[in-house]
Amino acid sequence: MPASHEDVFVIDDLSVRYSGRDALRNVSMVIPAGGITALIGPSGCGKSTLLRCLNRMNDLIRGCAVEGSLFYHGEDLYASDVDPVEVRRRIGMVFQRPNPFKDTIYSNVSFGPRLNGMKKGPELDEVVEKSLRRAVLWDEVKDQLTKNAFALSGGQQQRLCIARALATDPDVVLMDEPCSALDPIATMRIEDLMRELSTRYTIIVVTHNMQQAARVSDRTAFFSVSGGADDGGDPAGELVEFDETVTIFSNANDSRTEAYVTGRFG
Amino acid sequence: MTTTVTRTRRRARWAAPLLAVGLIAAACGGDDAGNGNGDDENGSSTPTVGGETQDLSGTLLGAGATFPTPLFLEWLGAYQEIEPEVDINYQSVGSGGGIEQFLSETVDFGSTERYLTDEEVEEAEEIRGCASIHIPVVFGSVTVAYNLPQIEGEELVLDAETTAAIFARDITNWNDPAIAALNPDLDLPDVDMIPVHRSDGSGTTYIFTRYLSDEVESWDDEYGFGSEINWAAGTVGGAGNEGVTAGVQQNPGGIGYVSFAYAVENDIPVASQINADGNAVAPTVETVAAAPAAIVDELPEDLRFDILNVGADAFPIVGTNWVLAWECGYDENTEELLKAFWTWAVTEGAPIAEDLVYAPLTGPVIDLALEQIDKINSQN
Amino acid sequence: MTVVDTPTSERDPVNPFKSTERGGKVDPIFRWVLRSSGVLVLAILALMVLRTTWAAWPVFASEGLDFFTGTLWSVGPSRSEVTGTYGAWPFIYGTLVSSALAIIIALPLAICTALYLTQLAPPRIARPGSYLVEMLASVPSIIFGLWGLLWFLPNVLRPVMNFLEDTLGQSFPPFSILFEGPVFGVSYFAAGVVLAIMILPIITAICREVFMLAPEGEKQAAYGLGATRWEVIRKVVLARSVPGVVGGTMLGLGRALGETVAVAMLIGASQRVGTSLLFPGDSMAAVIFNTFADGAPEAIWALFAIGVTLFFITMIVNILARLLVWRIGRITGDATV
Repeated sequence: MPASHEDVFVIDDLSVRYSGRDALRNVSMVIPAGGITALIGPSGCGKSTLLRCLNRMNDLIRGCAVEGSLFYHGEDLYASDVDPVEVRRRIGMVFQRPNPFKDTIYSNVSFGPRLNGMKKGPELDEVVEKSLRRAVLWDEVKDQLTKNAFALSGGQQQRLCIARALATDPDVVLMDEPCSALDPIATMRIEDLMRELSTRYTIIVVTHNMQQAARVSDRTAFFSVSGGADDGGDPAGELVEFDETVTIFSNANDSRTEAYVTGRFG
Repeated sequence: MTTTVTRTRRRARWAAPLLAVGLIAAACGGDDAGNGNGDDENGSSTPTVGGETQDLSGTLLGAGATFPTPLFLEWLGAYQEIEPEVDINYQSVGSGGGIEQFLSETVDFGSTERYLTDEEVEEAEEIRGCASIHIPVVFGSVTVAYNLPQIEGEELVLDAETTAAIFARDITNWNDPAIAALNPDLDLPDVDMIPVHRSDGSGTTYIFTRYLSDEVESWDDEYGFGSEINWAAGTVGGAGNEGVTAGVQQNPGGIGYVSFAYAVENDIPVASQINADGNAVAPTVETVAAAPAAIVDELPEDLRFDILNVGADAFPIVGTNWVLAWECGYDENTEELLKAFWTWAVTEGAPIAEDLVYAPLTGPVIDLALEQIDKINSQN
Repeated sequence: MTVVDTPTSERDPVNPFKSTERGGKVDPIFRWVLRSSGVLVLAILALMVLRTTWAAWPVFASEGLDFFTGTLWSVGPSRSEVTGTYGAWPFIYGTLVSSALAIIIALPLAICTALYLTQLAPPRIARPGSYLVEMLASVPSIIFGLWGLLWFLPNVLRPVMNFLEDTLGQSFPPFSILFEGPVFGVSYFAAGVVLAIMILPIITAICREVFMLAPEGEKQAAYGLGATRWEVIRKVVLARSVPGVVGGTMLGLGRALGETVAVAMLIGASQRVGTSLLFPGDSMAAVIFNTFADGAPEAIWALFAIGVTLFFITMIVNILARLLVWRIGRITGDATV
């Protein structure tokens, strides 16, 4: 693991249930600050579920119950006095499909800061510019900030969504298969951007694309489905292995990991 | 749209709001089967009433005023027992509609609370090449209903001046001196008056405003008369007798005019009215019938008349319902049916009318009506 | 070269692409049926407008613009000429005021109901709730009229109107004028409130549809940025739904403008322009309904003239709504509207 003096997330024995059905069982892992952590695994392995626990987006799903504990910089995110809205304000998220607001580019980026009470003015302009620069979109859109975001290409829209997430100044950015709706060139640009951002932010990315995980991530967690009918229980996701990406892809401890990354499974 | 329904006498009263009423005589022929003829329930034997033998058959179609509809229903029901083969259809479309349908010759007879204007009489003459006939068939009165719990059970007296002033909004409180002067024994409270009138064009409005226009000059100048008029500001309209009644009963201090029959049926207090001789007369079947009787000598030959300025013990706000027919152009059977039914209605139908609080024709008025009935098809 | 023998006998062995019965003859018939249906609808509409205008013409010709601005409606008895005075402003005013009141009351309620049903309510409430709303929309207006006149007015509206008169009516303009007493019961206000109840289900149903179409992606994005539920509703759901809500409102307004029976029973049938909402008035549809049966021919022409006016007012409202939706669409950069 890269040198880090601080752990961002400490996950201990976390289980998630949707309307009484297990989705993820007994996950324990520690995600250190900085770099890119990739969550990989076959469909239904609970990788997206875990990601959505990290900023409590799961609270929006009716019937979702979380057990175990999840600490963010030492704070218990699921403590009873924690407001999930505040959690989401601090932890940025980028979604599978680019989902800009049907509004101007400027309004998109300034949405978060404005929610936090920032008024229109030079300060907000500065935040917008900084965020767009960090998302490497500034040069492309600086003359058309009042243009509708829907006029941008898919890749540009996704970078706009990243800029929008950065504008609230988070230290963690969660990405849920951010490139799955994009063409290879746009994907490449997003991957480059992720590498660049990883120097400043802790990035946790869910991907179904093993090459992508191998290319961009520093650490990789492999999830799998277990507890099928032969085990006498409901199938649910579980964490199989979490290690340096290099280790996972070349020298996995668990045979299931090896089978998956070498394409013999999943 | 014509809805044809069959009703026995008892139920007819509740069918009044139906747009059209009719009788299919054959369908009810068995009602009289009480003479031991048990295995012939549909009464192929001719039923007899009053010893007469019945041989009429055919269909009559009429349309017009809503005001006499409950009575017409009862009449048709009763007549059907006498003449099971006669099918009379009456569409309750309003006086205006009745006149319109009569003039466009889509019905055999019309029914109206306002007689034809000279213009309409002339037009009728042109349409069919012979005169139209006005046959008075029943009288009805319009009464002033009110809602003032403070004087419940006591007689309220109004005269034309005061009634006009109330509906013109010149009098707006129940404790107005003008009302007090007419009712020295009443302890009239300080309550705002809310006058309620008919919102739909109606013969009831015609009779009421015709009376006010005749008696009160300022009313005639400002509002005139008709089946709808331009009411004063600060008065409220209600649709039908029901709507006016609702308006009166929901407003303490409410006052409105409704057909007398409706007021009796719904047990609404109504005012006594001062007539031309200065007598305060409460509306009853007798005092209403007395009104046309009082002016029978002055009636014009074509029987287009208003009942105005009556005295003695006659109630002063009374209107006529006429049946409109032609002096020519009917086939023989229709002529026979028309004459037979309306002769029966104005003579033997009288008790039925009284039951329903309509004032039937009396004495010399019956003779005048029969003369008119005799003119049907006389120019053929 | 061998010609493959296909079992389809109509297929030309030489030219397999030759037009067949199926494509060659039926399609044109189908097209013709569709086209004539369209033309028929337009023709019926045009005939209706022409015939009504023609019937109303003597009154328009005799009154001129006074027909729209005049305040005296005094019908004459003539069969051949216009002898009365026909100023329809009291009815135009009554229609506009009662409809506007209905929208002012119904719109916020409809939006809140629809938001609750789509954004907050659990499915076991949302589904029956939506059915209920749609059922309300199918209640015949005569029922609303009867219920309004005989129960709602005396038991609910009258106390409310008395309260309004005692409070707002005693305050300062414009409220002291709008809520001036005395309270008659039947009034613009009573008609407006019952109209509001009548159009509530229509507007709610449309708002519900529109809110359900609010883009899930954008809602997720807003939540992800730390928006509260209310902020998501305001900034995403409502902001995206303006054109649809305007459309639903216009549909409701259309019904309110044309509503006849219930208004006729509740507005009070006073042919005067009442400055207070608590005063009785009359509406265009109600006066036609009330006086049609008993009118002399010239009065009927005048009623036709009111009908034509109502038709054009409804049309203008619809055009304004289209323009509004189109403008909003342009501002938010939505190319699809």
